[in-house]
Amino acid sequence: MKSLRELQETFQRGILAGDDAILAEVKDSAKEQRKVLFGVYRNAYVARLAEILADDYAQLHAYLGDRAFAKLVKTYIDSNPSDQRSARWFGRHLPAFASEQALYAKHPEVAEIAALEKALADAFDGPDAAPLRIEALAGLAPEAWPQLVLQPHPTAIRLTFRTNAADIWSALKDEAAPPKPQTLSEPQAVVVWRQDFMARFRPLSAEEAMMWYEAAKGVRFGVLCEMVATFAGEDEAELRAATYLRGWVDTGMLAGFQTH
Amino acid sequence: MTSGKPPYLGFGLGLRPQHYQEILSGSPTIDWFEIISENYMVEGGQPLHMLDQICERYPVVMHGVSLSIASTAPLDYDYLRALKKLAARVNPKWISDHLCWTGVHGVNLHDLLPIPYTEEALTHVVDRVGQVQDFLGRRLTLENVSSYVTFGQSEMTEWEFVSEVANRADCWLLFDVNNVYVSAFNHEFSTDDFLHGVPRDRVVQFHVAGHSHEESHIIDTHDHPVCPEVWDFYREAVAHFGPVSTMIERDDNIPPLAELVDELSHARSIAQEVLGANAHPGKRLEAAE
Repeated sequence: MKSLRELQETFQRGILAGDDAILAEVKDSAKEQRKVLFGVYRNAYVARLAEILADDYAQLHAYLGDRAFAKLVKTYIDSNPSDQRSARWFGRHLPAFASEQALYAKHPEVAEIAALEKALADAFDGPDAAPLRIEALAGLAPEAWPQLVLQPHPTAIRLTFRTNAADIWSALKDEAAPPKPQTLSEPQAVVVWRQDFMARFRPLSAEEAMMWYEAAKGVRFGVLCEMVATFAGEDEAELRAATYLRGWVDTGMLAGFQTH
Repeated sequence: MTSGKPPYLGFGLGLRPQHYQEILSGSPTIDWFEIISENYMVEGGQPLHMLDQICERYPVVMHGVSLSIASTAPLDYDYLRALKKLAARVNPKWISDHLCWTGVHGVNLHDLLPIPYTEEALTHVVDRVGQVQDFLGRRLTLENVSSYVTFGQSEMTEWEFVSEVANRADCWLLFDVNNVYVSAFNHEFSTDDFLHGVPRDRVVQFHVAGHSHEESHIIDTHDHPVCPEVWDFYREAVAHFGPVSTMIERDDNIPPLAELVDELSHARSIAQEVLGANAHPGKRLEAAE
């Protein structure tokens, strides 16, 4: 008789690898053969995870259509057994997985749509932090501004897209016909974060993206202004930097600051 | 370890995100909520914000799907720490999971897999329940699952196994009315044998749910309304066990809240028909604890 450990290993191989050795351990019922009955577990495993991926990657599903999406997720399920206590994180490798599929080598927007959906899900239930209010900055003494170090909201995620994946995602979300996939002339920075319990995203201009990236690294506001001046000209550089900052504060992209 | 039997809570529903706003903005006739523990093991955002508000207004119990109490893999203490942390936030009336295993070798198959009813499995499960109860500092509540296969090596009936686990490990039972019905059909045992085979004083909760009938077998899908046969068995269960906190469990194909409240009212009316004035003993007092 198999030990409990051996029985469970055999059962699991029966589900994951289609190994029929488990059929020697279970019985036919009066109404059905054991292969059909064990098949309930085999089918449920794939069906449950496919449904989770369809929920997590709803716009990717809409973009690819049922057949292509089903094929992608079946391949993913077969090669990525879950090691997570919650199925919430089962699909976390799908963007990287999609980018490695030969089938999508000429369609980099597929992995980028997936990356956007994953980032939105991560922002949705990521860490809490009260957003930085404009009133907190308004009280700063003028001489403190150059020393200002900004703290991004902990849910903020920065992505870089080579395609118009963000536009495709937005069209699909609105149930509109998506634009044709295109490779962008320059990589596009996109920031994803949570505001008022809603996960949202915004493409950033090259200059704003540079400033956001440096700010997130802890570079002081005085230096950020100099970097903005270097990036696109000294004319009104401080105003440009202040405008970006105001936009970040108004949409909850920041959680705080330090001035020392 | 917290010792007293959990309070009778009346008639509750599984908390589902689709219904957050309706629950918080209205006053639906729902006595308590059950949450899926793993869904709230997240860092922040709307799920925990909504949960906090629900916990302020209703008694809540925690129901897990990944404890894997019967697995031969080592107990996952990271999971148990997350469970304990959530319990500190929720202050649940009890914590339940399933009498099953979900995977070995670090894999989670996200399914409630069956156990061979052997002395070896029994000893293993009882030992693990003891470890989990010691860690949590409270008794666990374990639910019977629906199953589709029987193992050649089983030495006892499911209800004998369930009873032995409850008595030896000193834990509570969640009697899933639908799961007993499903397994009885699939394995051709009598629902009455199961009903009368488990210790009455250990049962603290009922689940009532729908399923999918495949002619030769029934699959526990939780995506349909409760069928008449399961309501009939619920009536028997209430007559046998007396007032037990009852919950309608819908996990898929989630209907508007009003439909589930209607199903819950049906459960309430059955309990009142069977038990008369005894349908709510001490409910107000205990639920307000």
